[in-house]
Amino acid sequence: MILLALTLAVPAVAGTALILGDRAPVAARPLTAQLVALVASVVTLVLTVWDVVQQPVVDQPWVPTLGLRWHFAVDGISAPLVLLTAGLGVAVVAHARRHLPTGGTPGTFYGCLLLVELGALGTFLTRDAVLFFIAFETVLIPMWILINRFGDPRDAAARSDAAGRFLLYTVLGSTLMLIGILALVNAAGTADLDRLAASGGAGLSPTTQAIVAAILLVGLGIKVPLWPVHTWLPPAHTIAPTGGSVLLAAVLLKMGTYGIVRLVAAPLPHGLGVLAPYLGGAAVIGIIWGGLACLVERDLKWLVAYSSVAHMGFVVLGIASGTDTGLQAALFANIAHGVVSALLFFVVGGLKERWGSADLGVARAALREVSPRMGLSLVIGFAAALGLPGLVTFWGEWLAMYAAWSPAADRPVGLFHAYAVVAVIGTALAAGYALRVLRVVWAGDRLEPAVPDVSGVERWVVGVLTLTVAALGVWPRAVLDSTAPVVAEIVHRAGVSTPADLGSLPPISGLPAREVPRSAGDSRDPRGGAAS
Amino acid sequence: MTSLTGVPALATLALPPLPLHWPHLHLSPAQLLVLTPAVACLLGLWWGRGHRRLAATVAVLGGFVTLGASAWQVVQVVTDHVEATSGTVGPLPVGALRLPLNLLSDHLSALVAVAVAVVGLAVQGFTTWYLAADPRYPQFAAGVSLFLAGMLLVVQTGDLVLLLIGWELMGWCSWLLIGHDSRRAEARRAAYKAFLVTRIGDLAFVIGLIILAVGAGTTSIPAVLRHWTSGAGATQGALATAAMICLLSGIAGKSAQFPFQDWLPDAMEGPTPASALIHAATMVAAGTYVIARLFPIFVQSGPARLVLAAVAALTMVGSAILAFGQSDLKRMLAWSTVSQVAIMLSALAVAPAAAGPDTGVLHLVSHAMFKALLFLGIGWLSVLAGGTTAAALTGGVQHFRELRSPLAVGFLALTGVPPFFGFVSKELVIGSAEHGIVGGGNTAGWLVLGALLVTVPLTAAYCMRAWMVLTHRTPEEWIEERQVERESHHPQDVGLVEMFDTRTFVPDPEEEAMEERHIDTPAWLSVSVLKWLTVVGGLVILTPFVTVDWHVNPWLVGCSLLLMAGAAFGVRAVSPQAVESDAMRRAGARVRSAFDRGWGADTAYLALVARPVLGLARWVVALDRDVIDAYVRGSAAATKVAGALGEQTHRRRPSTNLVWVLVGVLGVAAVGVRLW
Repeated sequence: MILLALTLAVPAVAGTALILGDRAPVAARPLTAQLVALVASVVTLVLTVWDVVQQPVVDQPWVPTLGLRWHFAVDGISAPLVLLTAGLGVAVVAHARRHLPTGGTPGTFYGCLLLVELGALGTFLTRDAVLFFIAFETVLIPMWILINRFGDPRDAAARSDAAGRFLLYTVLGSTLMLIGILALVNAAGTADLDRLAASGGAGLSPTTQAIVAAILLVGLGIKVPLWPVHTWLPPAHTIAPTGGSVLLAAVLLKMGTYGIVRLVAAPLPHGLGVLAPYLGGAAVIGIIWGGLACLVERDLKWLVAYSSVAHMGFVVLGIASGTDTGLQAALFANIAHGVVSALLFFVVGGLKERWGSADLGVARAALREVSPRMGLSLVIGFAAALGLPGLVTFWGEWLAMYAAWSPAADRPVGLFHAYAVVAVIGTALAAGYALRVLRVVWAGDRLEPAVPDVSGVERWVVGVLTLTVAALGVWPRAVLDSTAPVVAEIVHRAGVSTPADLGSLPPISGLPAREVPRSAGDSRDPRGGAAS
Repeated sequence: MTSLTGVPALATLALPPLPLHWPHLHLSPAQLLVLTPAVACLLGLWWGRGHRRLAATVAVLGGFVTLGASAWQVVQVVTDHVEATSGTVGPLPVGALRLPLNLLSDHLSALVAVAVAVVGLAVQGFTTWYLAADPRYPQFAAGVSLFLAGMLLVVQTGDLVLLLIGWELMGWCSWLLIGHDSRRAEARRAAYKAFLVTRIGDLAFVIGLIILAVGAGTTSIPAVLRHWTSGAGATQGALATAAMICLLSGIAGKSAQFPFQDWLPDAMEGPTPASALIHAATMVAAGTYVIARLFPIFVQSGPARLVLAAVAALTMVGSAILAFGQSDLKRMLAWSTVSQVAIMLSALAVAPAAAGPDTGVLHLVSHAMFKALLFLGIGWLSVLAGGTTAAALTGGVQHFRELRSPLAVGFLALTGVPPFFGFVSKELVIGSAEHGIVGGGNTAGWLVLGALLVTVPLTAAYCMRAWMVLTHRTPEEWIEERQVERESHHPQDVGLVEMFDTRTFVPDPEEEAMEERHIDTPAWLSVSVLKWLTVVGGLVILTPFVTVDWHVNPWLVGCSLLLMAGAAFGVRAVSPQAVESDAMRRAGARVRSAFDRGWGADTAYLALVARPVLGLARWVVALDRDVIDAYVRGSAAATKVAGALGEQTHRRRPSTNLVWVLVGVLGVAAVGVRLW
């Protein structure tokens, strides 16, 4: 239990210390900062592995009058995400050794990376809706600093635009999410995510569910990002330093979809059912939109960012389908995109540092000829991006299309058939842009100007991610087995629960607003019975 | 609230134990067949980079183990007489859908696996010689191994998802292999085109598989077949037809049938062994295998069969005509492949339900042998002659006599001359078209029979044209040959000095260079094995692996043989008057160019698909920037304007309002103090 608390304490303390340390009269040297950050991130990784194996629970009262608790635990859905976050935490810190971005002190840079990791871990570990919001917000400012201070050094205006856009957009999303969370907690009478999920929406009228779900979906959808609230993503990903792009794409976007599963799919299944046609529509438009934009995009980093919009569309489509297969698809595709986008941003970020820009229009040496190892990783990364079977992306995408073709009983089947068809077309667009990039960057006859191949720590980071992309593609059960029991439970609860005005349960949403959280806090039995 | 008590929280659901157990320690032949080439690929990439001998050993050894495994499967199928299933990485826990991911061994997979393994081994053996000077040989060999893993996965699959995995894996490997020489822009373009065209075909294929799986609730092929033929799906004929027509789209893509035909001739930019593998034995023929696998569903759907018959008939004739006009003999083989694959597919379109899919599969196997032989033979010749165009290969067989017999056997089998394998399989296809007509008198049967009777003489014509080009002799060569012949009849005086001349023979440097490129034993063996299999392969119909009705109408056989002979003699008659004995040289330059460009299919692809999609993409980017993002920028601008306005109203000195505020504060404070 103490170790679970340490999982969050280590990055928090190390990150804060690094940032504050730079304000000391004698600033820490880059090597010291890196060493502290590396040790902290490795210790965090070890602790998360321990958390996943042992599954401890931290549950302490926090604001008893409001029924809020320090409540952290790992379950099947969060376990892969926690491991992904902690693993990438080590990767970004280690990778920065190769090329430390300018723009600020090393301590600030590493400190911000650790604080982003802290926020993401907190988001995935917490079992309290309000704490979820706080952890969700923790990542904002460090990430803003990473983009604004340490981003692309050539263009200050673009940095400030991208960082400001990221911050304001996500703050808007967070505000909506906070309203949604408060409404949900108010209506359901508890902030405990487990109890919210266990209720499966029982006792909430479909209208209430739909309204709360709509607010939450827009708020979280900005983070995912869903079409049409995605325009913050390409500039932020493009301008951010390599480590920042990796954390943005591989971890921060996952917080959005994870939030949708925890805060919408589990506690508000009927509300999600009402909104599913719109959600699925936004998802498939995103798939096509991202794919088409990638076909003509000239900036490689921008292209990879747009491809994220397309891939997250498959995740949301899976959730919208409302079946257990769809939810499994979404959770797997979530992890898959995390690994693939991390790989792609490490490689593409490395290329941008070497080339000086990421413009695809400039004639450059073919990677296959001059740096074959980086070329191989790029090929595997883009093969995964186009959903090649045998690599990790395939399972999530295929299952999402399957789920869209056979959605839950309350979804309009014809519409979802159309969504499945559109999603399939998206895979052809993905093939188009992936091979376009490989044809321009990887294949060719030019040998000048040569760029150095991956070496040292970069080689390890890229190599391990490449292997993960292939390994999870061949052995998808590593993730599916973990998420399956929880998904079955969520879908089962959603199936047996009935909305208030249809079923036998008293309508809780009708209770006076201010009383409910209090009664939740009071009526809660000592948590031992429910949580351990 | 009370309703929630007593419900266990989700966090109490334990994570499953780590998946440390491996599915099966005892490998089945099906598992070994898929695993061996995959492992050979990994080892070849891992060890082989920079060590070509090691890479070659791994690749060829992998080929031998695969062949052994396919033989083992034959033994197993013959002795056990049952379908055997074996597991892979499944079953996957994905909710209500069952995803068992099993492999299947039966007569069908046993026969095709042997053919694939034979051609795969021959290609690996030939490649060691063909790419001897290529520094990227290890990557190529690994790519071939991975490709074989994909094809064998399709052959052995008992699961729709594994089928899709193998199917797409082949597509990807074909991209790698066609674009092997990535320094050449043509190779890059051909690889890109091949992958994109087949992928577009696959869109509907994926939907088709999903329809089949959704109906049955599982992806297991035996269960899917049961559901759609005798289970609840048997009554949903329209849905089954839709699924089958969707599948046909993907099959037309991979098999280069109309309207996806144009990627295949361009793919001849790849090294010849890749062509022998992809475009003879495996990927282009995989569609035939898929239909054969799902034949019980397919045969129920009249519309799907009619669609396939129409597409196959059109493609068969059109590509045979195109084959005749190619100025490049390798591209001629490519178009002939398109035509021959259409023949396989047409057999499936018309075969009566009772007869089963075996005639189509038999033509698949026979085509795999003779077309791989022809590709390797032309590849061999191109190394010696320095090109694959008809002009470069003129008289090739005259100069390099050892190529005479393999190429002759290949062309005879392709034409369908008895007793070669091609004759047996092609006549059986014609026979099954006739059975189809007799059985049901359907449109599909007539369509296919008519197309076949046109294609047979066309095939004979282009084979004869190629042979005339290959055996062409220039007038000088003709005269020289005659002279040598004549001189051999006259004994010559040999002086004593010449007889005891022991000076060593000084070889001509040019001849020495030729000697270096002389074929080595593994490559020669590869070609020879394919040659002999092409000669005797027809005997396979006597084995229990194919159940065909080999009582074909003798009139029909005689008719097709006559057509064949007539066309061949016609071409032979006009050839000597043409430049370099190339009958096509009698046509004008514009006609020949139209043939080489495949009658402008490429232009159509660009105009109908590529440009509209790119236009839409530019539109999307503009919309993204100018409409969606405009709101975002607009909100920023609006905030700035509001700020500026606020600043304007603010006069930067204490206003009267502030005085009132102060007064108010004081007043409130006074009231507060008073009340306290």
